[in-house]
Amino acid sequence: MDYFVIGDDDTVLGFSIVGVSGEVARTSEEARLAWQNALENKEHGVIIITEDVADLIRETVDHYLFSESFPLVVEIPSPGQAFKRDLKSLVNQAIGVSI
Amino acid sequence: MDTSLAPTRSNLMKLKDELSFSRLGYDLLDQKRSILVSELLTLVDQAVDYQNRVEKALMDAEKTLQDAIMNMGRLRVANLAGAVNINSSISLSERRVMGVGLPKVDTSFSGDGPYFSPEGTSMLSELAINRYRRALELMGKMAELKVSIMRLSSEVKKTIRKVNALEKLVIPDKEETVRYLTSRIEEQERESFILLKAVKDRMEREEELKKEVNHG
Repeated sequence: MDYFVIGDDDTVLGFSIVGVSGEVARTSEEARLAWQNALENKEHGVIIITEDVADLIRETVDHYLFSESFPLVVEIPSPGQAFKRDLKSLVNQAIGVSI
Repeated sequence: MDTSLAPTRSNLMKLKDELSFSRLGYDLLDQKRSILVSELLTLVDQAVDYQNRVEKALMDAEKTLQDAIMNMGRLRVANLAGAVNINSSISLSERRVMGVGLPKVDTSFSGDGPYFSPEGTSMLSELAINRYRRALELMGKMAELKVSIMRLSSEVKKTIRKVNALEKLVIPDKEETVRYLTSRIEEQERESFILLKAVKDRMEREEELKKEVNHG
């Protein structure tokens, strides 16, 4: 199994030089298509998606993140940025109470 | 409270069994909850650590890539991608914590450099490749941690719900029904006791009357 990356030009280019296939998405339409393509191939075990693109299709991404067992989804910050979503808040969102 | 239950001893016994079963379930679920939460907290700490490392690794990699693009032009960097034959492959396995399947990601790379002729390419491109590779290695681990955290959280949520339902609804309700049944049964006993006493009294009185009639 391998990785699949969805993101902006630079991220996709960067990962492509280490042999990870990917798709560039700028609009929510493109993001949706890329996401579908990523899911179609069962060999894609981990989908790397930049936060900016994930925001465009937030519902779909969250659905897979919270409730689907496959594929694994990992969000990375867009180039030059730090992580937007704090892990603790993500956990709180998932549990419904703060720990 | 279930007041429709007939106040009999067999019902009371059954109810007491149910109550102790609910208490046992509550204890077990409570333990499960604390185990899951402690597991979750360790994972969150690890994940925060990895997140910082991924963030740093990605920033480094992106910066180097930008430099390489500046140096060689985007097209040529993109062309390099075709030449590099690093294959990253992941193997997914599972470990189970309290019945929750948590993924385990192992990333392995095949293919070693040099990937392309150093002629006409910048050393920055090599550097970018190395750094992205490093970022990718961390990424696998981070995906594993994040997905584990998500799954554990939803299990914790479910368990908390069950624990609360037992603690706040089922157990108090059953306790109250047990109290109700006990008092009903005791009441019945007293009633029949008094009834028996009354019958006995009357019989004794009749006996005495008979005696008096006989003597007299």
